[in-house]
Amino acid sequence: MLRLPIALALLGLTAILHAAPQAGRGVPDVSVSGDATKAIPIAISGFSAETQKVLEFDLHVCGFSIVSPTQADYELKGNPGTQVEGSLTETAKKATLFNRAYPGGNARTQAHALADDVVQAITGGKGLGRGKVVFKLQTGRTSEVYAADFDGANAVQLTSDNNIVASPVWRPKSRSIYYMSYRAGNADIYAQDLSNGSRSAVVRFSGSNISPSPSPDGSQLAMILSKSGSPDLWVSDASGANPRRLTTTAADESSPCWSPDGKTICVVSRESGYPALYTVPASGGSLKRLVTGSVRNTTEPDWSPDGKWIAFTRQRGDYFDICIVSSAGGDAKVLTEGEDPSWAPNSRTLIFARRNGKYGQQRLTLLDWPTGHVKDAARVEGSSSQPNWSR
Amino acid sequence: MKSFSKLGTVALLAVVALAAGCKKGTKNITPLPGYSGTAVPGNIGTSQPITPITNPVYTGNGANGQPGSGRTLIDENANPAPVDLSGGKGKGDLVGQVDREIIDGLVADRETFKGNTVYFEFDKSAIKSDQKANVAAVAEYLKGHGDNRVAVEGHTDERGTEEYNRALGERRALSVREMLLNLGIPADRVITRSFGEDKPAELGHDEVAWGKNRRGEFILLVPPTSVR
Repeated sequence: MLRLPIALALLGLTAILHAAPQAGRGVPDVSVSGDATKAIPIAISGFSAETQKVLEFDLHVCGFSIVSPTQADYELKGNPGTQVEGSLTETAKKATLFNRAYPGGNARTQAHALADDVVQAITGGKGLGRGKVVFKLQTGRTSEVYAADFDGANAVQLTSDNNIVASPVWRPKSRSIYYMSYRAGNADIYAQDLSNGSRSAVVRFSGSNISPSPSPDGSQLAMILSKSGSPDLWVSDASGANPRRLTTTAADESSPCWSPDGKTICVVSRESGYPALYTVPASGGSLKRLVTGSVRNTTEPDWSPDGKWIAFTRQRGDYFDICIVSSAGGDAKVLTEGEDPSWAPNSRTLIFARRNGKYGQQRLTLLDWPTGHVKDAARVEGSSSQPNWSR
Repeated sequence: MKSFSKLGTVALLAVVALAAGCKKGTKNITPLPGYSGTAVPGNIGTSQPITPITNPVYTGNGANGQPGSGRTLIDENANPAPVDLSGGKGKGDLVGQVDREIIDGLVADRETFKGNTVYFEFDKSAIKSDQKANVAAVAEYLKGHGDNRVAVEGHTDERGTEEYNRALGERRALSVREMLLNLGIPADRVITRSFGEDKPAELGHDEVAWGKNRRGEFILLVPPTSVR
C-alpha cells in the first residue's frame, strides 16, 4: 500500500544524498585501486542483533569479510546503550581510528552511518548507507514501482497503476523518478514527483516509449521510441520536449545508459543480428561497437559512476549473468548469475535481480564485484527486478 | 548521417502527416471503451491527474540537429495526407507512425482477428512465410472496412531480458505493420504496441508455451457507431 508520509520520510534521505557531490568523479577511488579483490578482514562485536546484522551486511558488500578477532586486521566494537556507538581499531598497530556515537534516526540508519564511517576510515572510499533503490515489483499479472533502502529494508510502493510498469529510474538532483507504464493502454514514459505523488506523462508517441534514462545532470532523457518505424535511441529534454533521434538502424535498440560526463550513451542494438553493446556520442554520431571479448548476447548496460566500467547482462541459453567490461571495451568479466545490474555510487557494489531457479521469481541481490561478495536484499513479496540505485 | 549508412541501414522516412487534432493539449487520455487489456483504469485524470502534454515536434534534422540531412520533416501541424507507398519502396523500409490520437474514441474488438495471430521464431522479428496469410487476411478485411483501423500488439517469450524483449516485441509489431503497409493499407490505419514478455498467452516454461507467446496480435478498432 502506498503510504505517502513514509515515502516522504524515505525520500528526505534521498534528497540529502542527491545534494551530496557526485561520487567518484575526480576523487581517487582508493577502494578499487591496489589489491581490491582481497577482502579486508574485520571483527564486529558488542552490538545489538539488528545493528550487528546491518553492519555485517553493509561491510560484506563493500569488500570486507567478517571474521573472529584473531583473524581480523580491524576490530569494530560497540558500546551498550540506546544509540549506536562504535570504536574502530587497527589491530596490528593497536591504533584507534575513531570512536563515535550516532544519535538520531533509528537503529538501522545509525548502523548504516557507522558502516559508512568504517568504509571511509579504512579504504577512503564511500559507503552505501543512505543509498535507495527503485525497482519493479510484479505480483500476478500486474506490477508497481517500489523504493527501498539498498538492502531491501523499508520498501514503499510508489505507484498504484494497477497495470504493467517497468524501468523505474531516479531523476538526478530531484526527488522524482521516470518510469514506463501501460496505464493508458500504451507503453508511455511518466515522471512522478515523489514529494507530492503527482505524475505527468512525459513521452507518449505512437508505438513504444520505453527504457527512460536521464543524463547524469538530469537535463536530458535518453529512451527508446518506435515512432519512426523502428525502436531507436532518442534523446529529449528532461520534460520530453525536443526529441532527437540518435540511431536510425532498422534493428531494435534497447536499454540506453549515460557515461558520467554525459557525453556518451551506451545502448543495446541488434544491428548485427544479435544483441550487443554500442556507444554513441550523446550529441549524435555513429554507433561504435563496445568490445566485450568472448562474452556475447549482451543487454542492460549500466555505466559506473567513476566512468571506468560498464556492467551488463549476458544471456547464456536460458540463464543470465552479470558481467563488467572496461568502458573502453576489452575482455568482459563474467561475475555471477543475475540480470539488470545497477551501480552503487562507490563504483564497486552492484545491485541486480537474481532468479530463484530457472524460471522462478526474482529478488534483488547485491554484489561487491572486486571480492565477489554476494548478499540478497530483504525480499518483498512478489518478483523484484530492474533495480536502479540513486546516485 | 553518412556514418549510419556505413552500417548498412535503411532509414527512409516517409512523409507522414499527423492526424488533425493532435494539438488539443487539454484533451484527457481516454481509455478505449471495451479495451480488454489488463485493467486500464477508467478514471485517469481524476485522483492523480496526468498533465496533458503537447506532443513534442520531431524536427527531423538528424540525430544532432545538423541541417541538411536530407531526411523529411514530420510536421504535426500538416494536413492529413495519404502515405505514398508506390515509390518502389523495398522490404524493410521504415515508415513513421502517425499520432495515436487517431484511435481516440475507437472501440477495441479483440475477437474479429483472433484467428489471425502471427507467430515468430525465437529472437526473430521477420514474418515467417507460413504466417503471411494471417497478415494478408487482415489487410483484406481492412480494405473492405474503410473506417476501421488496427492495433498490432507484439509479444515475446520469457527468454531474454525485460527491456530487450519490449523492444523485440515492438519490432515484431512493426514488421507486421510494414507488411500491412506493403499490402496497401495506409500508415494512418495501423498502430503498434509492445508488451515484451509481460503478457504471455501461455504460462508454461517450455517450447510449446514459448511458441504461443512469440506473437503479434491484431486488435480491430472500429468507430462506436458501427458496434452492434
